Amino acid sequence: MSALLTSTVGSFPKPDYLLRARTRASKGDLSPDGLRALEEKATEDWLAFQEQIGLDVLVDGEQYRGDMATYFAENLEGTEISGLVRSYGNRYYKKPILVGELRRRGPISVDWFRFAQARTRKPVKGMITGPYTMMDWAFDEHYGSREAAAMAFAKLLHEEARDLEAAGAKIIQIDEPALATRHDELPLVVKSVGVVAKGLDAKTILHTCYGNYLEIFPYFNRLPVDQLLLEMSNSGLDLLERFRQDPLKKQLSLGVVDVHSHVIETEAQVRGRIEQALEVFHPQKLWISPDCGLKTRSVEEAQGKMRAMVAATQAVKKAHGIL
Amino acid sequence: MVHTTVVGHYPRIGDTYEEQKLRRAIARLDKGEIREAELKEAEREVVRDVLREQADAGIDLVTDGQITWYDSQSRVAGGLRGIEVNGLVRYFNTNTYYRQPVVKSPVSWKGPVLVDDWLFATEHSRVPVKAVVTGPVTLAALAKDEHYGTREALAGAFAEALASEVEALAKAGAADIQVDEPILARDAETLKSVRETLPRLNAAKGKARLTLFTYFGDVAKVYPDLLRLEVDSIGLDLVEGSKTWDRVAKVGSDKPLVLGVVDARNTKAEDPAALAERVRGLRHRVDLEASSLSPSNGLEFLPRAKAREKLAILAKAATLVGGGS
Repeated sequence: MSALLTSTVGSFPKPDYLLRARTRASKGDLSPDGLRALEEKATEDWLAFQEQIGLDVLVDGEQYRGDMATYFAENLEGTEISGLVRSYGNRYYKKPILVGELRRRGPISVDWFRFAQARTRKPVKGMITGPYTMMDWAFDEHYGSREAAAMAFAKLLHEEARDLEAAGAKIIQIDEPALATRHDELPLVVKSVGVVAKGLDAKTILHTCYGNYLEIFPYFNRLPVDQLLLEMSNSGLDLLERFRQDPLKKQLSLGVVDVHSHVIETEAQVRGRIEQALEVFHPQKLWISPDCGLKTRSVEEAQGKMRAMVAATQAVKKAHGIL
Repeated sequence: MVHTTVVGHYPRIGDTYEEQKLRRAIARLDKGEIREAELKEAEREVVRDVLREQADAGIDLVTDGQITWYDSQSRVAGGLRGIEVNGLVRYFNTNTYYRQPVVKSPVSWKGPVLVDDWLFATEHSRVPVKAVVTGPVTLAALAKDEHYGTREALAGAFAEALASEVEALAKAGAADIQVDEPILARDAETLKSVRETLPRLNAAKGKARLTLFTYFGDVAKVYPDLLRLEVDSIGLDLVEGSKTWDRVAKVGSDKPLVLGVVDARNTKAEDPAALAERVRGLRHRVDLEASSLSPSNGLEFLPRAKAREKLAILAKAATLVGGGS
């Protein structure tokens, strides 16, 4: 693959018609098939948008997911879903509760992966919420041990990754936003992600965000994946200096737009961030991405940020003669 | 009879339409459909609901649920001179985020930050309301310092500013003021800084009772040192900080304690009788009549319905402790 590929983290905002439909469906005023048709339309529209602006590696946009952890949990045996819990600001999610032994009823995300990949010739990422995050973001009323719960998730998420691979996924992303939550548990992150990624032929990416990277730095090279996708624009690119001293032995996908700001970055701003990263990373080792999922932005903001990101990347590639 | 209290925040929305008015109001404000005054009214309605829920559950000393707080750091530090509020950072080991205060210039108090909220809550509560202030050492540890150069110097400056806030709260009539220093459970080395800053707050409290609360882990190593701090009572997370429980049982306390015995971070329901039995085990070492039971930390990490269940468990356990002593 060529250098400086552009991609995104996974989620996009849901259009208003889909938000309204989800509310209707939750009240029983819209059938599951009716909702599914609208989720498919929104997914197709986002795929078309990604193609149109020239992103290299696509995602399905997660139009069918509420929360990234809840989506997987509600498709497993051994879970219940709690009431709403606040994340920050006016953002809430329904948190899984582990009430029994975790078991997969069947593939969870494979159907939507197939749907998306069938609509583009570009690679679509298979997206898994990682075992450590699944554990950390659940109330555990069953296992009584954080390690036991994380490893139970790891086992069944490995099956999910295998199924994605069998369905044609060439790239599998494991989202671990909770990675930096408890530094004493970083060995558990490495161990449980290792179980998910073991023996996969697909390229593996681990995404994390909003942690104190300098404190967890020694673990970056130990994470058993091919690429790290890190939120970096929000943390002022401080981490680049650290990478200069201690090189990352895998690819980096560099987060260049802030997903928590309404302000759309200019092409020049994003370009500056990429240029800074190129002082430390060889272009072959660098992908370009937003900091995190864009689902909290409006459709217009998300599209504006992605456009700025792709335009800036293309300008940098031209300036450096990168094909 | 042991008393009951809570630690700080409370779920601001629940799962019913009626319980989601604040969420709707914030969304409408973001879209420009309502003004700040209408948001303020929605917040105040929720504060009244939260006060009622706590009193209905039988809690003796409540808070306003920190309904107007975006988070524990920016709400307090953002009201001080010298601070700008920046992007989101993960809050300790939780799946929540705070807007990080950035220290740009000397920190000082420019006027009451929390007094109006406390006055409103007191006016609308059937039971006494305590004021809660984020502690200077935690604020210093979680802020981004672009001015002072050392965390200790910044903590000292925060303490100076917060002393004025404590004084203003006490003058407004707050009889119970709690200073939260969760950083102590994360980093026992911060004890030194807490020891240096707390006397400044204690000197400003007037007739109020000052409680130091620490949560998100154990303080077993420094527990005897906490008992010697210049403060009226100590609040402890005895769930994540279960190691502290053993120290309390062994060392005891000559200060009243707030015993955070109900898990505020897990939905699993405790058995009130078992909790009461364990608390009664402390009765020869701790003055239980002067002490209180509480959740292990604020209740906002739970869904609203589960928070109510936890309050009921707490009240029941307290009754059972009292019943058999």
